[in-house]
Amino acid sequence: MEYTLTRIDTDGPRYPQEQREPVRDPMEDQMHRSIFLGKLEDMLKGTVNWGRKNSIWPYNFGLSCCYVEMATAFTPTHDLARFGSEVIRASPRQADVIVIAGTCFQKMAPVVQRLYEQMLEPKWVISMGSCANSGGMYDIYSVVQGVDKFLPVDVYIPGCPPRPEAFLQGLMLLQDAIGKERRPLSWVIGDQGVYKANMPSQRDKHREERMAVTKLRTPDSV
Amino acid sequence: MTADGNAPHADKGTPHEIVRELFSRFGESPFVLQNTVDRVPTLWVDQSRLGEVLRYLKNTISRPFKMLYDLTAVDERLRKNRFGLPAADFTVVYQLLSIERNADIRLKVALTGDYPSLPSIVGIYQNANWYEREVWDLFGITFNGHPNLQRIMLPRTWQGHPLRKEYPARATEFDPFALTVAKQDMEQEALRFNPEEWGMKRGTAEEDFMFLNLGPNHPSAHGAFRLVLQLDGEEIVDCVPDIGYHHRGAEKMGERQSWHTFIPYTDRIDYLGGVMNNLPYILAVEKLAGIEVPDRVKTIRIMLCEFFRITSHLLYYGTYCQDVGAMSPVFFMFVDRQKAYDVIEAITGFRMHPAWFRIGGVAHDLPQGWDRLVRDFVEYLPKRLDEYQKAALENSILKMRSRGVAKYNTADALEWGVTGPGLRATGSDFDLRKARPYSGYENFDFEVPTATGGDVYDRCVVRVEEMRQSIRIIKQCLENMPAGPYKADHPLTCPPPKERTLQDIETLITHFLGVSWGPVMPAGESSQMIEATKGINSYHLISDGSTMSYRTHIRTPSFAHLQQIPSVIKGAMIPDLIAYIASIDFVMADVDR
Ligand code: SF4
Repeated sequence: MEYTLTRIDTDGPRYPQEQREPVRDPMEDQMHRSIFLGKLEDMLKGTVNWGRKNSIWPYNFGLSCCYVEMATAFTPTHDLARFGSEVIRASPRQADVIVIAGTCFQKMAPVVQRLYEQMLEPKWVISMGSCANSGGMYDIYSVVQGVDKFLPVDVYIPGCPPRPEAFLQGLMLLQDAIGKERRPLSWVIGDQGVYKANMPSQRDKHREERMAVTKLRTPDSV
Repeated sequence: MTADGNAPHADKGTPHEIVRELFSRFGESPFVLQNTVDRVPTLWVDQSRLGEVLRYLKNTISRPFKMLYDLTAVDERLRKNRFGLPAADFTVVYQLLSIERNADIRLKVALTGDYPSLPSIVGIYQNANWYEREVWDLFGITFNGHPNLQRIMLPRTWQGHPLRKEYPARATEFDPFALTVAKQDMEQEALRFNPEEWGMKRGTAEEDFMFLNLGPNHPSAHGAFRLVLQLDGEEIVDCVPDIGYHHRGAEKMGERQSWHTFIPYTDRIDYLGGVMNNLPYILAVEKLAGIEVPDRVKTIRIMLCEFFRITSHLLYYGTYCQDVGAMSPVFFMFVDRQKAYDVIEAITGFRMHPAWFRIGGVAHDLPQGWDRLVRDFVEYLPKRLDEYQKAALENSILKMRSRGVAKYNTADALEWGVTGPGLRATGSDFDLRKARPYSGYENFDFEVPTATGGDVYDRCVVRVEEMRQSIRIIKQCLENMPAGPYKADHPLTCPPPKERTLQDIETLITHFLGVSWGPVMPAGESSQMIEATKGINSYHLISDGSTMSYRTHIRTPSFAHLQQIPSVIKGAMIPDLIAYIASIDFVMADVDR
C-alpha cells in the first residue's frame, strides 16, 4: 500500500504548514519483517490505532446546514455511540476530529484555522458537504472554495447536505484510515513523521456496481 | 407625479389611504408615486425631506408605522426599464409596517454619484443601525450621522462593496484563496475587540470590566455568531453582537442565477425551513409573471410548509430545553423530526433542502400513498407533544429557569423589527397567515397562539402551540386535497409544459428557450411576505425584463432579532443570555444570507 509521509513545517509561509511526500509503508521494510522488534512495533501500533479509531471524539463545531444533519447522526435513530464517537467536546483541546460541516467563509477561515491549531495531535479533519469540499453551489465572493485550501482534509463526504448515514460512512472510512496509520509511538522514539495510508477513492471502487444499475425507482409512489 | 415603475399590466387603482394622508400633510410635490406589482404603496422622496416624513409616519400619524420593517439599497446604474422613475445611480429603500393598519409603505430615496451619502435615520428608528451598516458594507453608500458605520457582513480587512454592479460575483473570478501566516495574523488582529470603538468604558472608578468573547464558535451560540460581553462580575453591562460569519452572498447570487435556478438557494436561507423558503420567492415571481396557480398547488405548498414549520420548531424545542439544562428532550424530538423527514422525503425526494416549489407549481405531483404517510404522522405527533408538555414545559426547574427571563413587550418588539413567535409571545396576534392570507391560508381553520409574558418561556409555549396548529392545518390539507394539475397553464411556468412542444415549431422554440435560458419575467417590482418559521420573511425582486433578476433582496427575521439582543439582555446574568439566545430561534444563514 502507498503511504503519504507528512511532516510539520513551522516555517511554511501558508497553511497547512506541512510537507508531504509519497512513500512506501514503513512497516514493510526488511528490517521490520525479520527482526522481533519490528513485529513488536507493528503490534503496538496496531493496538494504539485500534484504540484511537474506536474513540474518535468530535469537536462540537458547525458552520451551517450540514451541521444539522451531522447533529442528527448523534441522536437515537442513527446513534453515533455505536462507533465510539458520541462524546462531543466543547473544547478543541479535548477533541480528536473536527468536522467542517457547512460553508467555510473567508471571514470564518482564520477562526477555523485557530480552532484547528488548538486541537492536539493526533487530530483529523472531515470535510462534510459540497461547500466544505469545494465551495459547492456557492461560487461567490465570500466563500472559500473548499476548506482544503488551508486545512489538511482526511475524508470528504459528498452531498448537500450529506444524509446522516453518509456522515456515518465518512466516519467509518476515517476509522479504516486511522487503523492503517503509522505515527510515532512517542515524541522521543523514532522518526517523528506521520505516515498515512493512501486510501482508495470510493468513486473508483463502486463505479462498476453503480453503472450497472439500470432500473431506478419511480417517484410516483411512496 | 406618478411614475410607472412597471410593465403595462400593473394595477393602477386609486392611491392607497396612506398615500392620500401623506399628500394631504406634505402636499403632492415632494413625492413621486410608483406603481408596483405587489401594490405596496411606494413613494420616492428627496433625502432632505426623508427625516420629517419618517418622523410623521412613526410618531404623529394616527395608527402609526411603528416598525422599520426593512432597509436596503439598489444599484440602479445598469437598469434599463425605469419607466419614468426619478433619475438615480443608487436608491435606498425604506419599508415600514403598521400593525394597527395592517399595511406597509415603501419610501425610496434617489441618490446620484458613485459613492453617495444621505442622512442616517438611526435617531428615528433604532433598528436602522444594522441595516445601514449592511448597505454601507455591500454598496458603499455612506449614512451621515450613523453612530458606528462599520462593515457588518464582510471582514474589516475587505476591499470593495460586493452588491455594486461592477463587483464580480464569483470567487473563481478572484485569485484563489490562500491563508498565509501573515494573513492569519492580520485577520486575527482585525477580530480583536476594541471597546472604545463601541463607546464602552473599560471600567469605572471602583472596578474594571471584563470583556468576554462568546463565539464565533460556541456550543450555545447556534452557529457562527459572536457576541462580545462587557461584564461586571457575572452581570452583563452591555454587549455587542458581531455577525457576518455566515454571509453567503445570496443576494448577489440572485443576480447571477436565472429565475428558476435561484430556487435552491432560497432553501438554504433559513436552512431549517426547507421549502418554506421557496414560497415567498416563488409567490413574488408569480406576481411578476401574472401567474395564478391551481388550488391543488396552493394546498400542497401549504402542507409542506407546515411540515417544515414543525421540523424547525421541534429542533428549536429540543435545543431550547438543552440550553436551559434539560438534556434528554432533544433526543426524543430529533426522532420526531426523523419521522417528519420520512414523509417529506417520500413526497419531495429530499430531506432538508428539497427546492421543490416551481414558478407556477410544484416539481411533481403527490406520489401515490402520500396520504397514508401524512395521516400516520399527524396521528403520531400530538401524543408526543403531550408527553413533552409534561416532561419539559411543565417541568418546574425549566419553568423557574426561564420564566421572567429576557422579557420585552410589544412596543419594544416593534421598535426592533421583531416578528413571528417572538412578537406573539408579547400578546400581539400578528400572524401573516391570518392578517394577510397568501397561497390559500384563508381557507383553513386554525388559531394564532399568543402569550402575554414576552419572556423566554412564553416564546417556547407559543411555538409548541403553533406545532399543534400546524398539525391541524396539515389534517385539513389531507382531508380536502383538491384534485387537478400541479402546474399552472401559463407560458412562464417553469419548467414549461411539454405536451404541446411536439406539435409545432413555435411552442418547441419557446420551450427550448424556457428550459435553456430560463423564462423572461416582465420588468417591474414585486415582493411577497410570508409567516416563515422564525418570523416574517420576504423577497423583494426587481426585474429588468431579463432571464435573471436585476436585484433580489431578502428580508429575514433573524437579522432583526439578533440586533435586539443588547437592549434586552443588559443587566442580566450570562446564563440568562444563553437561555435568551436559545429562545430567539435563529440560524445564521437567516441572519447573514
Ligand atoms: S453543502 Fe449544502 S447543506 Fe451543506 S452547508 Fe453547503 S449548502 Fe448547506
